[in-house]
Amino acid sequence: MEKDAVRVLVTGAAGQIGYALVPMIARGIMLGLDQPVILHMLDIEPAAKALEGLKMELIDAALPLLQGVIAATDVIEASKGINIAVMVGGFPCKEGMERKDVMPRNVPIFKAQASALEQHAAPDCKVLVIANPANTNALILKEYAPSIPAKSITCLTRLDHNRALSHIAERLNVHVSNVKNVIIWGNHSSTQYPDASHAIVITSNGEKSVRELIADDHWLDTEYVASVQQRGAAIIKARKLSSALSAASAACDHIRDWILGTPEGTWVSMGVYSDGSYGIEPGLIYSFPVTCQKGEWSIVQGLNINEFSREKMDATAKELVKEKSLAYSCLAN
Amino acid sequence: MAKETVRVLVTGAAGQIGYALVPMIARGVMLGPDQPVILHMLDIPPAAEALNGVKMELVDAAFPLLKGVVATTDVVEACTGVNIAVMVGGFPRKEGMERKDVMSKNVSIYRSQASALEKHAAANCKVLVVANPANTNALILKEFAPSIPEKNITCLTRLDHNRALGQISERLNVQVSDVKNVIIWGNHSSTQYPDVNHATVKTPSGEKSVRELIKDDEWLNAEFITTVQQRGAAIIKARKLSSALSAASSACDHIRDWVLGTPEGTWVSMGVYSDGSYNVPAGLIYSFPVTCQNGEWKIVQGLHIDEFSRKKLDLTADELSEEKALAYSCLS
Repeated sequence: MEKDAVRVLVTGAAGQIGYALVPMIARGIMLGLDQPVILHMLDIEPAAKALEGLKMELIDAALPLLQGVIAATDVIEASKGINIAVMVGGFPCKEGMERKDVMPRNVPIFKAQASALEQHAAPDCKVLVIANPANTNALILKEYAPSIPAKSITCLTRLDHNRALSHIAERLNVHVSNVKNVIIWGNHSSTQYPDASHAIVITSNGEKSVRELIADDHWLDTEYVASVQQRGAAIIKARKLSSALSAASAACDHIRDWILGTPEGTWVSMGVYSDGSYGIEPGLIYSFPVTCQKGEWSIVQGLNINEFSREKMDATAKELVKEKSLAYSCLAN
Repeated sequence: MAKETVRVLVTGAAGQIGYALVPMIARGVMLGPDQPVILHMLDIPPAAEALNGVKMELVDAAFPLLKGVVATTDVVEACTGVNIAVMVGGFPRKEGMERKDVMSKNVSIYRSQASALEKHAAANCKVLVVANPANTNALILKEFAPSIPEKNITCLTRLDHNRALGQISERLNVQVSDVKNVIIWGNHSSTQYPDVNHATVKTPSGEKSVRELIKDDEWLNAEFITTVQQRGAAIIKARKLSSALSAASSACDHIRDWVLGTPEGTWVSMGVYSDGSYNVPAGLIYSFPVTCQNGEWKIVQGLHIDEFSRKKLDLTADELSEEKALAYSCLS
């Protein structure tokens, strides 16, 4: 018997990430090959024609799983009955702008969208924030949608997590599907901490520690960390555009694992509402290692944190605290 | 037991269609969720850095099915060992260019790529030409790769086929997966003939003829046809860019059905080497209704062609014969 359609909202759908993401959703990459979907696509009025063009292309693709498409510039229409919301839309950082310049513009956007989601989305709607500053946008959304459970509001660090996996795979010349359990701690920014201390490689002789196999702590603690942190900039340099394909793919991975569960013995990284685990200040959206089961994530507990890691985890938390207070000061004005 | 890896070439991979297509291939949309792939991506030297950026992103996506990526500006390296070739790269028509100029540039490109494929691709490599003029580019490729079986060289009309299905599903307010057996005849151009005479819709009371359900022959014989023919231009008008998402998706459908087979009772449209079926001149790459089984396509025979359709089939064939002559004149 066929499953009921799931309604998935993508904001900023007329942009680059949206264009890569919507066909992935419509092909079952986000929710499984047997899960029909109805796409809700939201963008701003100036992008209305491009959004209509996107809707036309989705119809033209004759996708069996896609049971409907709504293209809207009205956030309320877009939010009606939504089961999953992927917030790609936000004010982009332009050349010469700093994070703090874009904050006053993004805060009102996420405040308004919080309100619409809270009032119109389906109960138990799961939210993934991608637009930067992702963690803080997610926090604002949470603050202004108090009836959406905190556990339902997350931000994307799966792209960094996937990058961290593939950097190790390349270094060890193994397939990326044999590497697991890296961790991205903290903010989806240059202070993120890609931690390979607990990462594992599946070899023909069983599971081995990445740190032991690589046998180069210096590389793991410096160049590796910097490479993953700065990968976004490296992509922009090569493409003259930011990552869309890999961001969209990581968004699908984030939602899929959240809903369908992580494999046994494997965790992933998600930006989630901090509960004080690992000494991280509660009330931030901070990236942790999580496992997922029955549609819920839970932070992997009990991992040993050495001094080097402690410092990095605290530094990125500190940045998030600063962003939070900057966001609040924008709201007060 | 895991399947052996398949090598898939995408030319023009640094462009818009390539960027939409490669993640679909890497996720199993083209060949199935259990089929590991190695991507070969080719583009021209000015796009080398962008191409490398695409490779970096494919690596960053940590795709379980993607066993390797070759990003190159060298056509020989790109073609080596490939089992499937999707030719997206070609010279785009720019403002002020005449048909002859575009044809001339593309004829040279497809001639040299034919040579590389013939020498370096795996045996029984399946080829899908997407770059326009798709049918004629495919014909040139066939002419200059004589040892590639002509049945292995096709062009994309699945996008038009899917668009036709989409228009009918919108008109009837049904799911597009319940509509089947439209036909796109001829050239992937404005002379293509979207034919619904044999199309059906699945309803609670069984399969019904589209023509009977729609009950509006005038619409089906006029507006429907021009809408499908001109849909590409409508997309450009809305997006300010040509269709990439739907073209990439249709390329996946074309290859998947070719390799894995069409469902029972269903046909699709593919631009294939004409054998004279339906009185279409032999020796053109012409879009026909086909079924696929065991990795081979076969033209659906015996469909009744009414007078209205006959004229349209012939018109698009004439255009293809003209393009063929133009292409040959560029070569000499």
